[in-house]
Amino acid sequence: MGEKTTTAESQIWAVSVKGLTREYTTRNFFGGVTRTTWALSGIDFQIANGELFGLIGPNGAGKTTTIKILTTLLTPTGGDALILGLNVRKDLYEIRRRIGIVFGGERGLYNRVTAVDNLRYFSDLYGVDPKVAKERIPKLLEIVGLAGREKERVEKYSRGMKQRLHIAKALVHDPELIFLDEPTIGLDPAGARDIRNMVRDLKAQGKTILLTTHYMFEAEELCQRVGVISKGKIVALDTPSELKNMVRDISVIDLRTYGATMDYVEALRAIPDVVRVVADLESEQQSIRIQTPMGADLLPKVVASLPAGAKIIDRTIKEPTLEDAYLRLVEE
Amino acid sequence: MVSMQDLPRGKRVDGYVSQKVQVLRASIFLTRKLFFADPQWVIPNIIAPFIFTLVAFFLFQGETSGSSFLLYLVLGSGLMGMWGTTIYASANSIGFDRWNGTMEATLAAPIPLSWIALGRVLFNTLQGVLNAVFILVIGLAWFRVGFGLVNPGAFFLASVATFLSLSSFGLLMTTILLLSRKGGFITNSMEIPVYIATGTMFPVILLPIVYLPFAFMLAPTWGIEAIRIAALPGYVGLPTTYWQDMVIMVAETLAYLGLAFFLFKRVEAYAKRNGTLEEY
Ligand SMILES: Nc1ncnc2c1ncn2[C@@H]1O[C@H](COP(=O)(O)OP(=O)(O)O)[C@@H](O)[C@H]1O
Ligand SMILES: [Mg+2]
Repeated sequence: MGEKTTTAESQIWAVSVKGLTREYTTRNFFGGVTRTTWALSGIDFQIANGELFGLIGPNGAGKTTTIKILTTLLTPTGGDALILGLNVRKDLYEIRRRIGIVFGGERGLYNRVTAVDNLRYFSDLYGVDPKVAKERIPKLLEIVGLAGREKERVEKYSRGMKQRLHIAKALVHDPELIFLDEPTIGLDPAGARDIRNMVRDLKAQGKTILLTTHYMFEAEELCQRVGVISKGKIVALDTPSELKNMVRDISVIDLRTYGATMDYVEALRAIPDVVRVVADLESEQQSIRIQTPMGADLLPKVVASLPAGAKIIDRTIKEPTLEDAYLRLVEE
Repeated sequence: MVSMQDLPRGKRVDGYVSQKVQVLRASIFLTRKLFFADPQWVIPNIIAPFIFTLVAFFLFQGETSGSSFLLYLVLGSGLMGMWGTTIYASANSIGFDRWNGTMEATLAAPIPLSWIALGRVLFNTLQGVLNAVFILVIGLAWFRVGFGLVNPGAFFLASVATFLSLSSFGLLMTTILLLSRKGGFITNSMEIPVYIATGTMFPVILLPIVYLPFAFMLAPTWGIEAIRIAALPGYVGLPTTYWQDMVIMVAETLAYLGLAFFLFKRVEAYAKRNGTLEEY
């Protein structure tokens, strides 16, 4: 990589990030600094034109901060970022006209008016020719599956419909580059699948996409390359299959249990050859994921540690997924 | 089935003026839709004016009808209603987006925030003007005051100019609200002093001398003077003439606009530095 960014470079890279940092300071009532947080401590990555790039990481890792900086909503503390060859510190409006942003969650729509009203409004803010918008909006609504409901107030929409409207809103001005910040968060499985299908369609149309998520299967299913971000640093960046290679030495035992507690999880962790145990003990049936180089040979010990009254309902031995690589990366 | 490829595309609207006009229009239309979508609009626009006039009626029942004092009173109620909505207008311009969760989406648009806010304020102020007209109409009907304006043309001109100066004041207030965490407190505590200072209730000339500099700095003070000169026979107010009032008002309005647009740059810079303007 050269020191200076040339035009040729910007023709390849839709996004080019170098040494990006961001610090947040929290101030008290009198203006004194009470706390400083380094949300990003020097990240580098590039996204090629037409690429679908994923940024994955736990809560608080710095995904939203990165997206806000790249979409010109937040000034970086240090480092540089070029979007379509334009500087995020200087070329605000030109960048904004050429990118689309989808933030996850309920916010960002005018709930008291209709979907069409929302899309018209944002079309106008983005300088879309009203004649074009008039034809484009009904088609967009059809693509996102809201045709027929477009005259209803958005407040009557389900969570999934609102999220699809968010996508339509990000597309009103035909952006080249689209940022999606955890677009499937809080959606039911069918709703999340709809969104993923739309993301795939966008990719097929040649759009460049930056997607953040903390669902690993989502990144694995959609993204060509994935950056793993943890505590404000990119700890790995590769294709999902290369990242999985990092954990090819282990296999995964997935258990579904009844009556298992934290004690059982601790007992499993104490078994030699167990690399990592991740458990969800919240529901009536628990799911426990054990990473081990032993594979099925570990099963007798797994069964032997089971406390009285607990039962294993189901068990499967699996190849490691991106999730397993991710768990290793964000723990280190 | 429509595919993304079939989506119509076209050239952007990118003329300096046409862009702003498009945004202003969009902002006014959306504000109007949001306004009528909430049935509460009936309260400030239909119910409050009735109450205003009713109170005035009982207070001044004994007055001889048709006197210019009553016309003065009705006009004052209308102007007060207009001021009230201006303050409401500024609080409800971009402040609305703040609690509606649309601040981020608004800030992300490739257009200065000031133009979006101006659209919001213009609609809300216009609604205040309609509200004032309504007070005027019911008030006049109630008191059976003949609406004998001294100079209808000048009255109309002064009213339009006052509307614009109220809007620019509202825009300036919007920036102050956005830059201050205690925005709500500021608007609430300003309401009464502003009513008094601009002479909606009684002529500015009757104010204690210390208030006068403040009153003179408020552009609508001059507008209200001009409106009264054009409306009320034999009105004695400030020693300025109608046209002097108008010129001072226009100058102050332009100063407000300049300051508001400058402060909006500060608001945007603040938002970028902190990553948000949303209230949590
Ligand atoms: N406006 C803010 N003020 C102070 N700290 C913030 C602010 N926004 C984010 N942070 C902090 O910065 C870190 C990164 O946050 P964020 O980028 O939102 O992470 P993610 O999107 O990956 O969950 C977190 O520690 C978070 O608490
Ligand atoms: Mg986030």
